Amino acid sequence: MEHLLETLGRNMFGIFGLLALAGAAFMVTARSAVHSVLAFLFTMLCVAGCFLSLEAEFLGVAQILVYAGGIVVLFLFVVMLVEISKFKQKARLEVFQNQSRVAIVAVLAGVAAFAGVFRNAIFGKASPDALVLRPELARGLDVAKQNAQAVSRGLFADYLLPFEILSVILLVALVGAVVLAKSERV
Amino acid sequence: MPTMTLTQTLVMGLIQIVAVLVLIFVMVPLLTFAERKVIGYVQVRLGATRTAGGHRGLTGALNRGMWAMGKVPVLSILRGLPVFIADILKLILKEDIIPEKADRAVFTLAPILSVMAAFGVFSAIAFYPGVLFTFPAGFPVVGGLPFMGFISDVNVSLLYIIGLASVGVYGIVLGAWASNSKYPLLGGLRSAAQIVSYEVPLTLSLLVPVVLSGSLNFREMSLRLATGEGMSWLATFPLMAGFLIYTTCGFAETNRTPFDLPEAENELVAGFHTEYSGMKFGFFYLAEYTNMIVVSTFASGFFLGGYHFLPFGLQRFIPATVPFFGQPSLIFFFGKVFFILFTYLWVRATLPRYRYDQLMDVGWKYLIPLTLVNLFVAALIRFAY
Repeated sequence: MEHLLETLGRNMFGIFGLLALAGAAFMVTARSAVHSVLAFLFTMLCVAGCFLSLEAEFLGVAQILVYAGGIVVLFLFVVMLVEISKFKQKARLEVFQNQSRVAIVAVLAGVAAFAGVFRNAIFGKASPDALVLRPELARGLDVAKQNAQAVSRGLFADYLLPFEILSVILLVALVGAVVLAKSERV
Repeated sequence: MPTMTLTQTLVMGLIQIVAVLVLIFVMVPLLTFAERKVIGYVQVRLGATRTAGGHRGLTGALNRGMWAMGKVPVLSILRGLPVFIADILKLILKEDIIPEKADRAVFTLAPILSVMAAFGVFSAIAFYPGVLFTFPAGFPVVGGLPFMGFISDVNVSLLYIIGLASVGVYGIVLGAWASNSKYPLLGGLRSAAQIVSYEVPLTLSLLVPVVLSGSLNFREMSLRLATGEGMSWLATFPLMAGFLIYTTCGFAETNRTPFDLPEAENELVAGFHTEYSGMKFGFFYLAEYTNMIVVSTFASGFFLGGYHFLPFGLQRFIPATVPFFGQPSLIFFFGKVFFILFTYLWVRATLPRYRYDQLMDVGWKYLIPLTLVNLFVAALIRFAY
């Protein structure tokens, strides 16, 4: 029993990761848009599980709060109100549309870029120190116990300017979305 | 605290989960019964007074005898208390109908999501800050281990709880969509819009205790806010305002009167659960009442002083040496929870429902600016102290 639990605990990250992948695959292939949203919700919860298994409690919970809670609700609104009528007009829906060749190339390029960036992190030797933005800022913090404080130091002390620029970009996207939605009515 | 092996942690966790489940399953039916009685008395009638039962079987024989003697049936000594058992039986035994045109999978999943989100919250709520009792040494697996007043002591439990609450919206929206019918869809959309709008002031009003206590952990926040440890005496005022705003938003979040537009029966039949019957409907019902308990636990823990006697950080005026009122106790916590649950029923019996535009006005034009001002004041007090 003890041994089994220990093995399970050690592989929690892998289990959640595989579940998240399965959810993502279902999301892409599902016929109904609402089923897609559900699969997306499942995937997001599994990613949150991944974070939790790495003891990044704050990130895991923020994942639930922001993605699973906030964004997907809006997504659901859009799906319920807009997309359904369009879907019903098409008699038969291809699982893979005709842009699949472009998609494959894009995915391969993405995988290559990802592997280039994270090659060291995945196949290299494990670093003895935790991955922190600037170690001198995290000094005196027990990162495992004070997740929120550690993240907030990164956001509000170390990377304040990029963080603020990012929020302006989001605002621009928001205004853009409003403009796009309004133009349909005229 | 002795270190626990993984098996012991698991078993202890399961025991605590079962304890919390029992608590919920006892409190929810009693709450529905209390609702009948409280609303009855507020409206100067008696509410449920008797469960007369049928004319057959054992209770039937008793009832017939009692009626024959010109008396009210014997079960009415309990003042209609067995009604809640009848309620549960009705929900369990009723035929479970899935409409033909419904999306079966989502239709089934929706109530499960609702209940899951409502129950999951309890894993981060601390009912008592310390050890409740210790298992005797001879107890299998968990012998000699302490039974804590909380399931897990997550350091970001507040965020976890808010996150799960927003997952709970799915149950309603998905159930409404999967019913494939007009009124549920309208009710579901109303509900989603309402919950999404009121989540903003709700979260902002919870930031006041966070700012004042400097923690995100339910247990720590509750203890610090009650004793006013490291807080200026001025902190009482934003806490009071925060309590009023939080309870208002809590009413809206749980779809209770005067914010029960998602199930406005004179407009929408029964709102999002029109097509549901049997235990699937029961799950929605259970989730709603569990959410009421959750909101009450929050208001009690953060604003009303939690395990301590006096609310709003006033506990500092009672030294810890005072025998009963100076010490944290489970009684105070649940007393406050019951008080807020009573307020729920009280408000339901008193206030009429809002119109939809009024609902949105209250949320966006009054509550959000109010919470922002309140948060600003709290931050000023924190900064100045």
